[in-house]
Amino acid sequence: MTAPLLKLSGFTRTFGGLVALDHLDLELTEGEILGLIGPNGSGKTTTFNVLTGIYAASEGRAEFQGQDITNLSAQGVCERGVARTFQRSRLCLSLSIFDNIMIGKHVRLDRGLVFNLFRRRAFAAEFEAAFAEARDLVRLFDPPLAGRMFESIGAFPMIDRRRIEICRALINRPKLLLLDEPSAGMTEDETRQLMDDILTVKMRLAGLSIVVIEHEMGIIERITNRCAVLNFGRKIAEGTYREVAADRQVQEAYLGVE
Amino acid sequence: MDAGLLAQFVANGLMLGMMYALVAVGFTLFFGVLDVIKFSHGDVLTVGTFAGFSTFLGLKAIGVANPWVQVAAVMLIACGAMAILGALIARYLVMPLKGAPALNVLLLTLMLGTVLRESVRLFFPDGANPKPFPKLLPTDALALGSFTLRLDSAILFVAGLAVIVAIHLLINRTKLGLAIRAVAQDEETAKTMGINFTLIVLATFALGSGVAAFAGIMNGLYYNEINFGMGLLLGVIGFSAAIIGGLGNIYGAILGGFLFAALQTLSVVALPFASAYKDVFAFAVVIVLMTIWPTGLIAEKTSERV
Amino acid sequence: MVPESSSLSPSESLWPAFAAIAGATLFAIVFMWAETEAYVLGAIAAAAACAWAARRFGVSARAARIFATREKVLDWGAIAGTLVLLAAFHEEHFPLLMTATVLLYLVACLGLNIQFGYAGVLNFAAAAFFGVGGYTAAVLIRHTGIPHPIVLLIGGAMAALIGLVLVLPVLRTRGHYAAVITIAFAILFRTFLEVNDALGGPQGLKLPGLQVFGWNFNRNFEIAGIGLSFYVNYVLLALALAAVAFALTRRLERSWIGLTLDAVRLDETAAACFGVHLARWKALSFTLGNFMAGVAGAVYALMLGFIAPSNFTFGDSLIMVSIVLLGGIGNPWGVVLASAIVVVLPEKLQLIQEYRFILYATMVILVLLFRPEGLLPRRLRVYFPGWNPK
Repeated sequence: MTAPLLKLSGFTRTFGGLVALDHLDLELTEGEILGLIGPNGSGKTTTFNVLTGIYAASEGRAEFQGQDITNLSAQGVCERGVARTFQRSRLCLSLSIFDNIMIGKHVRLDRGLVFNLFRRRAFAAEFEAAFAEARDLVRLFDPPLAGRMFESIGAFPMIDRRRIEICRALINRPKLLLLDEPSAGMTEDETRQLMDDILTVKMRLAGLSIVVIEHEMGIIERITNRCAVLNFGRKIAEGTYREVAADRQVQEAYLGVE
Repeated sequence: MDAGLLAQFVANGLMLGMMYALVAVGFTLFFGVLDVIKFSHGDVLTVGTFAGFSTFLGLKAIGVANPWVQVAAVMLIACGAMAILGALIARYLVMPLKGAPALNVLLLTLMLGTVLRESVRLFFPDGANPKPFPKLLPTDALALGSFTLRLDSAILFVAGLAVIVAIHLLINRTKLGLAIRAVAQDEETAKTMGINFTLIVLATFALGSGVAAFAGIMNGLYYNEINFGMGLLLGVIGFSAAIIGGLGNIYGAILGGFLFAALQTLSVVALPFASAYKDVFAFAVVIVLMTIWPTGLIAEKTSERV
Repeated sequence: MVPESSSLSPSESLWPAFAAIAGATLFAIVFMWAETEAYVLGAIAAAAACAWAARRFGVSARAARIFATREKVLDWGAIAGTLVLLAAFHEEHFPLLMTATVLLYLVACLGLNIQFGYAGVLNFAAAAFFGVGGYTAAVLIRHTGIPHPIVLLIGGAMAALIGLVLVLPVLRTRGHYAAVITIAFAILFRTFLEVNDALGGPQGLKLPGLQVFGWNFNRNFEIAGIGLSFYVNYVLLALALAAVAFALTRRLERSWIGLTLDAVRLDETAAACFGVHLARWKALSFTLGNFMAGVAGAVYALMLGFIAPSNFTFGDSLIMVSIVLLGGIGNPWGVVLASAIVVVLPEKLQLIQEYRFILYATMVILVLLFRPEGLLPRRLRVYFPGWNPK
């Protein structure tokens, strides 16, 4: 068996006295879509935040492609090929679609002062290439959107913002994509559309692995290969959707049965 | 250095620390309930002090000569007027910007501070020049060797302590204090529990501003001179003290105030030849301490959700 | 913007744009020439009427469209307008001094705009950095024989260096309250100058005029029999500096750097998750901005021939912040417009000279409450004006 792409062992994060994440062990194989589910406050988003270097881990270890990435800075994690979206959309609403996507490409753009200020021809070439790449990516999601790349993202509905946020995460060709509740704030129809988009993209970008946090069980059932259930920061079940849905502990966690 | 002189420095430092602490408490209260930085706080102090000074002039004009009556009236009017001003600022300038970036509140209150400061300079008669503030408290001195303890300083310090104790009791022992703490903890939950959010914010701003006016009058009575820029200096140092103490933490702010005063006094003691650079040192201390503890000695509450 | 560009046919006449530039130039000349307050107010009223008429008949909208797609028209138009102004007042010291002051303030405020408008790094000591440049120039010119153009650069470098030390705590915190560091520095700087005898104390320092390759900037001169004020030299130098600063600011905005700075300002957490090293970019913008302020300050000190602490107060720093806010955060043309208004207005209306701090502070409060995007709001980034996706 090949080594897992991502391996969390004993991953723990406490805030003061509160244990937000309690010795989580999790493995992800390349190409897999893993669902991370659990009631509110069960530590799903915390897992993402600790993994991407926004918070430091209190204990435990994260390995990505066999390398230790525990407590790497957010920038370091990004450079290894992990990209994410946020639960509450964190696009720059006063910037254009193109600009927002380009933020995701930051590490692969030439940020040299001389290049940007004085070598405008070379810059134009890089700009054209970057534009074509971004447009093609947006087209995978929604062709009409690709024709409106220089309009302010603030003027678009939620579903388009989610799409652009995912494009921003994908433009850097990450190996692992972390989606934090992509359906939040959208209608059922929009959610279904977005899930189709994600599956399409997943097919086009071979080798991409995804961890998705979701409350919509329909989504989890449809797109994940496997899921892990968290409750009070601990993993209480793991397996295919059908397996965990049948788990008594999981049902209790969701229904609040003691 | 002889013990008397040293005691004198300590006394001065404590006095200064008390003023800084009282200003810092305001900053920390505002940050607690609204998560905003209100930079006009120091200039509210200036306006309060000048309001108190005007009260004194008014009383003198109508022939009220009893210093105790004067002091009581000056304090009452200065603190009361600034409490109202503070609440008005909160209601009409700070709260409307609640959804806007925190930066806008900072800029707005900074500019408001300029408006207040300049208003004193331009519209108070001869406001551009320092004004002699009257000695309203008994100045009897108690000589202890080469150290003289002036009665007015002692009274001021005790009064300052009393204010701090009163704030402590208000925050911890009253319904209003409970409501302020609830709002500071979690605005949404406080609202659902039936707390009138607007009212609490206004009360907090009134409280902080009234305390600032108190510190301003204290400053006037102690140094016997006031000027339109006094609040800017006290404001910057008070604000830094609040940060060092961990914004939102009242006791931290008080501690921070005394810490700043201690360092400032020490620099004057250690480098007596450079007394002209007193204020330069005060601000250098601000910069150095902020560099060492940019988020405070006592960790502040983190409110950002990702 | 792209949709606008497509609506502009290549054959469309450029006359509204030229009319706008000519009108603005004419207004500037009349305004500077006006001696009494009645004339000044009359000029403002007439300009307001013209602006209203231009808007009413769609001229300003057409001019704006031309400016958006053919930027060179506006760029060169502004330079030409300044030169016409220069020609109109070639012998008169005061209007030229004012023009040069506006241009130097523009350079400093463009620097502040990079810090504050793009990277979101607060700086309430811009006037102090301006002063650092000035005092550095004064000391170097009085005590060394370093060629003056290099002195100007050292002035900028000194401001940048001091800024780098100050930015340390700013980088270590996430909130905006590190702003207090720059406030403390602004007050400290002024107080320090006043008590320091080596730097002249409250009276300040005198310094000789600028000399570049043997050309003395402080001597009146003649060209073809026409007498010219020595300030012509300074206006030309300041214009060149302003043009360079403007071009660099705009290129910066239209590059990946500008985008990165926007990301730093708008959402630090998201930016960090995409690999943006926040501290590096904040430090870069802070340094760049202070360098610009320092160079401008050095020229300013040489132009005035003396330098004193009262020019570099906290109030002056706030006026620079006001310029950026009133003009429209992040829009270089907004900074141009606001620099002109904020610097010239109190000079012409003595009535408000004394009240300028309170006046501008009030204006900024109103802007923040009712029009936070300023007089000329920043528009979406256009990397290459006129470029359309194929």
